[in-house]
Amino acid sequence: MKVGSARVRGLRLGAAVAVVAALALAGCSGEEPADGGGAATEDVTLTDTGEEIDEVTVAFPGSLANLYIGQEAGILNYNLAATVQEGLVAQDANGEIVPALAESWETPDETTYVFTLRDDATFHNGDPVTAEDVVFSLQQAADPEGSPGTYWYMMNLGSVEVTGEREVTVTTNAPDATFLVNLSNAGALVVTQQAYWEEHDGAVGTSESLLLGTGPFKVVEFQPDSHVLLERADTWWGEAPKVRSIRVNFIPDASTRLAAARTGDIDIAFNVPLNQAKDWEQIDGMRVESMNDLSYVGLIFDQRVAPFDDINVRKAIAHSIDQDAIVERLLRGYGEPATAIVTPEGLSAAFDGDEARAKLAELPQYQYDLEAAKELIAGTDAEGLETELTYPNTGPQLGVAAQAIAESLSQIGLTVSVREVPIEEWLATIGDGEHGLGFMWYFSTTGDPAEVNGYLLGVENPNGFESDEANALITGGNAIADPVERAETILALEKLNKEQAVNAPIWWGKSVTAFSDSIGVKDYSPFTFTRAWGAHLFSAASE
Amino acid sequence: MAESGTRRTRARSRLARVVVLRLASVLLILLALSFLTFTLLYLAPGDLVKNLLGNRPSSPAAIAAVRAQYHLDDPFLVRYLDWLFSALRGDLGVSIRMQQPVADVIASRLGVTLTLIAFSFVLALLAAIPLGILSAARSGSVVDRAASGLSLLGLSAPSFVLAILGITVLAIWLPVFPAYGAGGNGLDRLWHLFLPSAVLAAGIAAILMRITRASVLRELEGDAITFARARGLSERVVLSIALRSALIPIVTSAGLILTFIISGTIIVETVFALPGLGQLLQQSVLFKDLPVVQAITLLVAAMIGLITIVVDLSYLALDPRVRARDSAA
Repeated sequence: MKVGSARVRGLRLGAAVAVVAALALAGCSGEEPADGGGAATEDVTLTDTGEEIDEVTVAFPGSLANLYIGQEAGILNYNLAATVQEGLVAQDANGEIVPALAESWETPDETTYVFTLRDDATFHNGDPVTAEDVVFSLQQAADPEGSPGTYWYMMNLGSVEVTGEREVTVTTNAPDATFLVNLSNAGALVVTQQAYWEEHDGAVGTSESLLLGTGPFKVVEFQPDSHVLLERADTWWGEAPKVRSIRVNFIPDASTRLAAARTGDIDIAFNVPLNQAKDWEQIDGMRVESMNDLSYVGLIFDQRVAPFDDINVRKAIAHSIDQDAIVERLLRGYGEPATAIVTPEGLSAAFDGDEARAKLAELPQYQYDLEAAKELIAGTDAEGLETELTYPNTGPQLGVAAQAIAESLSQIGLTVSVREVPIEEWLATIGDGEHGLGFMWYFSTTGDPAEVNGYLLGVENPNGFESDEANALITGGNAIADPVERAETILALEKLNKEQAVNAPIWWGKSVTAFSDSIGVKDYSPFTFTRAWGAHLFSAASE
Repeated sequence: MAESGTRRTRARSRLARVVVLRLASVLLILLALSFLTFTLLYLAPGDLVKNLLGNRPSSPAAIAAVRAQYHLDDPFLVRYLDWLFSALRGDLGVSIRMQQPVADVIASRLGVTLTLIAFSFVLALLAAIPLGILSAARSGSVVDRAASGLSLLGLSAPSFVLAILGITVLAIWLPVFPAYGAGGNGLDRLWHLFLPSAVLAAGIAAILMRITRASVLRELEGDAITFARARGLSERVVLSIALRSALIPIVTSAGLILTFIISGTIIVETVFALPGLGQLLQQSVLFKDLPVVQAITLLVAAMIGLITIVVDLSYLALDPRVRARDSAA
């Protein structure tokens, strides 16, 4: 029967309050006011203790379905393969080409490369790397059916042959200064053994076939949606890594990843969400470092969709992007307003950082000017336009930028509805003939100055932009060996982009990586994680 | 006696016929479902070719090669029948995204998801049924009100909120359980799966508790119980009599609830980073990896169909009236 009703009511109320409070507290984590993050805020000096590390646990913000970059060419796939497999050449911390499986090479003419393989290159199974293996790997990398993710980088491949016991000769169809970097693991080539490939009928990189490479670490276990286990391989020609094993855990949910770090489970976390950087910094024993990541974010305009074929409409939209506000407030400083498509790092072969920035800033720029935008829009078919802008759910920072841009555009009479979609759906909206306005979010792996702008302005570009001048600049520029001379054609290409308002660059990205204070990585640069990073980790003592 | 012997054989053959008919209907449902799934995936946004080639320029030759490789230009029905005939032969195909046989891909994740479902089902039963019986027996008391409040929480809190709450309280503040992952084998696996299973169990335990309570309460207020009490039987015996009668609705809902657990695995597996069928299904749908989507959908449908048949058959065991009715007919 009824127990004293007042007491029951009090108990119920108390229980309800406790429950609501717990829920509110759980929801509160991660909600910090913006306050301009920017570069690494901790002044942590790390000294290399030279000690061995037994296991390093890395958290990836997503899962890998396949470890072979030819099958799945996402940035995380490149990151993982970089410490397991190698190409003929590699990149150093500044993105310059250095030897890898090839100890030296010669270019008797503009379209021929003769590589001499190093004699101590060994696969993880103990077999030596033969010239036949290299030729075979390159042929597979160039085949669209076998390697849909990387064949494009090999479009210019003419022939590849064994020309000596440790010699491979590669020819290209046309002279191409970008070709060499595509023969690195950051481009298209990850050398594997022909026998291994044929044993698995080309289905490499799966949880059964794993990956066979020549790098400092070998794959011993792979379960998609769970983890990859790497172990130090004693077959590598380079300096032996200090880390014995690396466990890469796939943790797609950002809150779970943060929770895992709070329990002390994570040593390195890739791609910390920008709005969580503060939370990660506050974790005891962890630090957060940000680094330019060679990524580009900008708007694309599909000129096959009206009214985006009208240059005034594109110019008006370009004038409506408040790049400085977006980078400072919405990205909390983790980014740089982009004055062009190519990043300053991309021009590093010709100009150093400041000089590159100065050159790029000289290009015609579209300042944030809503009055000018209104004038340009007046009289075009875009007045009163309603359109949709999609962005991938793996990039929430694009979403906030989209909202800001939509707000500005509403002030000049365009109604843009912003929609978050899964990354596969976003990919499908690019160049689909319905979406005239879109986002381009591109992670350059090679750092080549024409990688991104070539994609966005050249043959089969997503803007539907057909220009003989652009194509000539791209192919012509790719053929030039001298970096400074080549940089001039890149700048001319960027100038064309600006004059024609083909793309509207917004920012060059920075990635935030969280490290345990007991771990450091040597020569940390934008190229670190497309190099053999496992071998560059060291046990650190911080001050 | 010969008569009861023939009656029993007749009952058994009728039972066998019922089971066969039910299995046949499940197969028909699977067929219809496979066509529906194929159509929906075909119409869904997204482009398999773009997913394979990525955010890169592509040559028309390469696009044509990929389209030919996966028969993307064949007519709609041809593609469906192609899949159907292979499936009927036992060949579930190769996953486009993973480049592995579908059977292998599913087998490698089946363990985690089955353990998750079974564990959360057990947790739900252990939590809901005793609590439901207690609430019914002490209807209107503090225990009853508290249980109702708890079930409201379980019903209304979204699973990802409960997941984060669980991780924060039981993995960070009190480091009892791991925050994510499926762990190794045996006890380590169960330790890792406790939080995810508890989260999954919360919502369905709430439903099950309320159904148990309502069902037991109705029995307790029935004539048979009033008569038993009047005869002077102890409360415990009375309760056990009521429970036996209340069991059918409880078993029915338990079976149906199991099907809810299956759909709940998608979110829970994503939040806790578990390599299970839920995450696989979600990613395969987004990628338009048809062989995997078909296989998982049919697997789930078959499981649900079988569970329903088992639940229906359980009435024969539980309720003597059903047995009598069947054999008398």
